[in-house]
Amino acid sequence: MFGRQFKRLSGDGMRVCVLYSGGKDSNLALLKAYEVFEVACLVTIKPRSEESCLFHYPNTELVKLQAESLDLPLIIDTCSDDEESSLKALYNVLSKAKELHEVEGVVTGAIRSTYQATRFQRVCDDLELWCFNPLWLRDEVSILNEALNYGFEIIFTRIAGYPLRKTMLGKRLTREIVRIFCEMRRYLNPAGEGGEYETLVLDMPLFKKKLIITDYEIVGGDYDATLLVKRAELVGK
Amino acid sequence: MILVISTCRYELSEGEFVRPIVEIVKGCGFDCTVRRYYERMDGEYSGVIICGTALRDFDYLNHVDNFRWLVNYDGKVLGICAGYQILAMIYSNTLERIKKIGVYNVRIVRENPLIEKDEIRSYFLHSYALRRVNESLEPLALQDDEICMFKVRGREFYGVCFHPEVLNGEIISNFLYL
Repeated sequence: MFGRQFKRLSGDGMRVCVLYSGGKDSNLALLKAYEVFEVACLVTIKPRSEESCLFHYPNTELVKLQAESLDLPLIIDTCSDDEESSLKALYNVLSKAKELHEVEGVVTGAIRSTYQATRFQRVCDDLELWCFNPLWLRDEVSILNEALNYGFEIIFTRIAGYPLRKTMLGKRLTREIVRIFCEMRRYLNPAGEGGEYETLVLDMPLFKKKLIITDYEIVGGDYDATLLVKRAELVGK
Repeated sequence: MILVISTCRYELSEGEFVRPIVEIVKGCGFDCTVRRYYERMDGEYSGVIICGTALRDFDYLNHVDNFRWLVNYDGKVLGICAGYQILAMIYSNTLERIKKIGVYNVRIVRENPLIEKDEIRSYFLHSYALRRVNESLEPLALQDDEICMFKVRGREFYGVCFHPEVLNGEIISNFLYL
């Protein structure tokens, strides 16, 4: 990791859950957790809208398909967009993960938001759970490149603000797009940390089957639009 | 060569607490090597940074004796969070149970080469810190009644109980250029 091989530490068999939205960051965090821990389940929180202060707005049905492809149990809760409701839902799903799957730790895809990290850490502490944020403070472009290096198939499901345009929705994240994001660093966070865009992972190394979208609709304006998946299925890789 | 010491029990925590420090060190143009808290640390180093670890991780406290060589070390040392605690302990100070998670104001109370401002916002993630210090340590900054930065008197050894890599990277770069 830091230019030399570390030996595998004792105690690496900890059972953990992954805070999972189905996008690139939570999938990369999952992959990193899988390399050293026993991933017991996924937990997903569905906020009422894209305005949530704490969570991405996942398509719950797609997350269910991803969990099926990963062969992992999924715990889902819903919440309003306000902080109190979000924290309560987070507490509830993590409590269930602890009770049902005996997890000792939580892995998140948090990158740079101290607001998000603080709240995750506090809830984990309340529940006496370890909190792991393997992407914390990572250079955003390196995250995109690492996901592509692992063979992730990622599409854009939401864009929110110039210079990203509606025509990107449904398009795959490619090296060329990473290069363009890198050049546009002054105008947008390359990892979409500011809510500039959201993604869906169709395939990654741990998926036993890949996700395909068979019907969808794009709603919204030129610079603020969402891809709504109407039908999707898992197919052999 | 800077020695970066990981206090993380679990490898997955190192991406969160060690890698950001390594990136700052390299970004400032310094070479570094990483050792774990229970490993031998002999070698020639111009400086040492002891990194923090996860909130529930206390295993490094079982290995404080592995850091006592620092008392005779002539270079500079920056202890971050767990590293702050280790420095405090090897200079016979008593840690108190103070849990702090999140971003708080820090008031600089003594001029020092690591930070030139009077007040900063910093990210905290710890369960233990200092409210009192003995004569070997000089308080540099406070958060409420907590001594969140100190200097070891007569040495270029600094302890910082928050995580400067998150919001105050200049503390680490200023340390490297000392």
